[in-house]
Amino acid sequence: MKKKIISCVMASAMAMSAFAACSGTTEPEVLETAGPAPTADATNAAGEEVFSEDAILDMTMFSAMPGNEINSGNDIQERIAELTGVRVKETWLTGQTAQEAVGSIIASGDLPDFIDGGDGMAQLYDAGLLVAWDPYIEEYPNLKELYSDAEWEMFRQDDGHIYWANVFCNSYGEPKATGHNDEAFWIQVRVLEWAGYPEIKTLDQYFDLIESYVDANPTMENGTKNIGYTCLCDDWRYFCIENAGQFLAGYPNDGSVIVNLTDYDKPTIEDYNTTQITHDYLKKLNEVYNAGYMDIDFATQTYDEYIQKLSTGAVLGMCDQYWDFAYSIAGPYAEQGLDKMGCDYVPLGLVADGITEQQWHAYGDTLNNSSGCAVTTSCEDPAAAFQFLSRILDQEIHDLRFWGIQGEDYLVDDDGLFYRTEEMRANWKDETFKANHCCTYSYMPQWLGTSHDGINAMQPQEQASEYYAGLAEPFANCLKAYNAGGLPDMIGSVKGVEMGFWYPMYSYSNSMTTETAGGVAWERMGTTKHEWLPKVVMSTNFDADWASYMDAYAACKPEDFLAEMQEELDRRVEMGNANS
Amino acid sequence: MVLILWLPLFFKEDQCTMSKRKTAELDITKVKLTKKEFKRQWGLIFVAALYVIYGIVFYYLPLGGWIMAFQNYKLKTGLFHSKFVGLAKFKFLFEDDRFIRVIRNTLAMGIINLAVTFVTAIAFAILLNEVQSRWFKKTIQTISYLPHFLSWIIVCGIIHDSLSSTGIINEILLNTHILSKPYNFFAHPNWFWPIVAFSNVWKETGWNAIIYFAAITAIDPALYEAAAIDGAGRFQRIWYVTLPSIKPTIMILLLMNIGNVINAGFEVQYILGNGLVQRVSETIDIYILQFGVGNMDYSLGTAAGIFKTAVSIVLIFIFNQIAKSQGDEHLF
Repeated sequence: MKKKIISCVMASAMAMSAFAACSGTTEPEVLETAGPAPTADATNAAGEEVFSEDAILDMTMFSAMPGNEINSGNDIQERIAELTGVRVKETWLTGQTAQEAVGSIIASGDLPDFIDGGDGMAQLYDAGLLVAWDPYIEEYPNLKELYSDAEWEMFRQDDGHIYWANVFCNSYGEPKATGHNDEAFWIQVRVLEWAGYPEIKTLDQYFDLIESYVDANPTMENGTKNIGYTCLCDDWRYFCIENAGQFLAGYPNDGSVIVNLTDYDKPTIEDYNTTQITHDYLKKLNEVYNAGYMDIDFATQTYDEYIQKLSTGAVLGMCDQYWDFAYSIAGPYAEQGLDKMGCDYVPLGLVADGITEQQWHAYGDTLNNSSGCAVTTSCEDPAAAFQFLSRILDQEIHDLRFWGIQGEDYLVDDDGLFYRTEEMRANWKDETFKANHCCTYSYMPQWLGTSHDGINAMQPQEQASEYYAGLAEPFANCLKAYNAGGLPDMIGSVKGVEMGFWYPMYSYSNSMTTETAGGVAWERMGTTKHEWLPKVVMSTNFDADWASYMDAYAACKPEDFLAEMQEELDRRVEMGNANS
Repeated sequence: MVLILWLPLFFKEDQCTMSKRKTAELDITKVKLTKKEFKRQWGLIFVAALYVIYGIVFYYLPLGGWIMAFQNYKLKTGLFHSKFVGLAKFKFLFEDDRFIRVIRNTLAMGIINLAVTFVTAIAFAILLNEVQSRWFKKTIQTISYLPHFLSWIIVCGIIHDSLSSTGIINEILLNTHILSKPYNFFAHPNWFWPIVAFSNVWKETGWNAIIYFAAITAIDPALYEAAAIDGAGRFQRIWYVTLPSIKPTIMILLLMNIGNVINAGFEVQYILGNGLVQRVSETIDIYILQFGVGNMDYSLGTAAGIFKTAVSIVLIFIFNQIAKSQGDEHLF
């Protein structure tokens, strides 16, 4: 009998706990004023006011981009926690698209405290799951100075509030860019060196060079077979094959469309998918593929396999965004000494015949208002969260994030200029070291450009002296041979073109949903291109397959999409005119 | 859940009395629930009630969410304030070529998978049963069901690696001069369904065979002896004794799995699929994920889900009727 009672009690407990699991979520509310933020409660050995372990809040962040999780007890993370009272556990996208990941998070109701939803940002806003920045922008000067008033307006949603701020491509003071963080046809410096640093301007020249190099050097020094060209087509990263057409035609990265400026006051939307230039580009890839110089697995490789392939140093060239591959291969490159073997990539500013100026490189800042860092309604202490976002912009903590600990990770010379020793530079490329020591909170507010001290760059990769000191010899030789100060000179995009108020248009197409006819068309165009772009490249009868592709593409009703893009362009132009 | 399943063990006493009654009155279903009866069997009734409540709460109440399929559901407005749009979402689905393709893929892969995993599991169980060495039998059986415990992401990783242009399969084909240059299996839609079917067979055959092993073990050895005396050879014994004896098990499992045909899978297709083969790789589940969760169109996702459930129910009914008319084991 006793057993019976116990088992009955257990059974009801089980049932109860199952009920409890379906409790509802709370209604989001928009705070008009900022609440009180926590303050430091202890002093450390150095006499600074710090937060004791008990007072430190643990928060979470999800970024809809792949990234490396850092280890708990990470040196700099702990140091920042001590100074700010907040420790953030960051998690990243794994094997899903941003939209699917964000969708699952919303559906589960289990939100992190901070989120950068990428392409899923609009959904978070639609679901009312974000906390408005407005009162905090007023309260924290650090946050306010991130953007000008006009720029902040760009982030304002239709309910009149600001819910996120993009944290990238934003310079404090004078811009210091030495790198090319955008898309390009990349080529390894050993190929250029072998050919005596020729001038490469067109796709034909580019592939001729690669082909003759592969013919002369079928393998690397270590016996690995050289792969002439590869092209990622995986999921959303298929931009690697998809949008070269717009750049080859000389246009900037509007991402999903071309903005034709023939009549500057009345810019019009154009589709680059169907242009002759795109046709010629794909036809060229088709020739290269059939000639056997292109990676046979290019269309079916996953992103991980792609990075793995690049990490061997065997891939001579590809078209990609810098951030999509460079950070992931830096570690393996350093480990195997591939940089010293001339496997580093430099960008080439290729153009189609008849085009003279190109805009592969985006000078200055780009404001992508479609996504950014946000605080969610699940965050129990938004005041502390925003205080944290503000605090990590303080120069002292910003230096900790990107430069590290003075004396350990960088040194300061007599003029106040930061520099690193060879060992420190090697450390900061080492994945294990980074996981234990470095904590950049890379998807939280940050600056590029010049530090508050007026001497240093906000981030080491933009510090000219550091940049040149860190270059491997073949790379440095290449820059010298082309008389280039950095990668922007290398790619040689036209300077002085002022970006319109509408730039970049992808910030709109990224947030389209199947709610509208244009969104449905956009979705279908994507599916069609995912299938047909690799298919025409691998085709044995290019012209026939191209024609079928064009039919399939037309069936998606791209005109619906283009019409909505035109509407948005008109709206942005009008808004820009009103503001200026 | 596990606890609830264990509960009946504590009520052995009651069950015994019940079976006694069964022999006495022959038809247990006619027992009326009187106060006396309730007092005597309250424990059993309590447990049964828990199952009923569990079923209602977790299987029937959520069906209320089906209403979403007829609304333009928005998280902000919720179930009660979203706009009703009638059958618009279903209309969108059936006008979408992609959805039609997705149904075709799901059914095709579901049927192929069911057929091959079913046949291989039975064949494997029978073949292994014929092995005399006990040690060898046990070892093979253990090895064979190990892949079941690997997650799909790992299995797909292995498959993707082995079939890549530098993988083991291509290496063998090149070294034996069957191919002159590497072949990219994942770039050709024709290969996708066989690859998925093979993955399922590799992963699940050993596991699925366990139940047939059990069924075969239960066969009375006297039947084999009798057959042997009558001059039946090995294959005849399999054909006339083993197979008919496990036929009820086969039929029940087949029936239960028919309903799952529409669950042709999600992980394999999601992980192994790519742009080139998406025409044949996408299943209903992937479609639902992309539109329902990815685009936050819960209504569309729900509509697709309802359709899927309907197909499942229809399939089960049809095959149950067929089984019934054949005089075989059936579910209801």
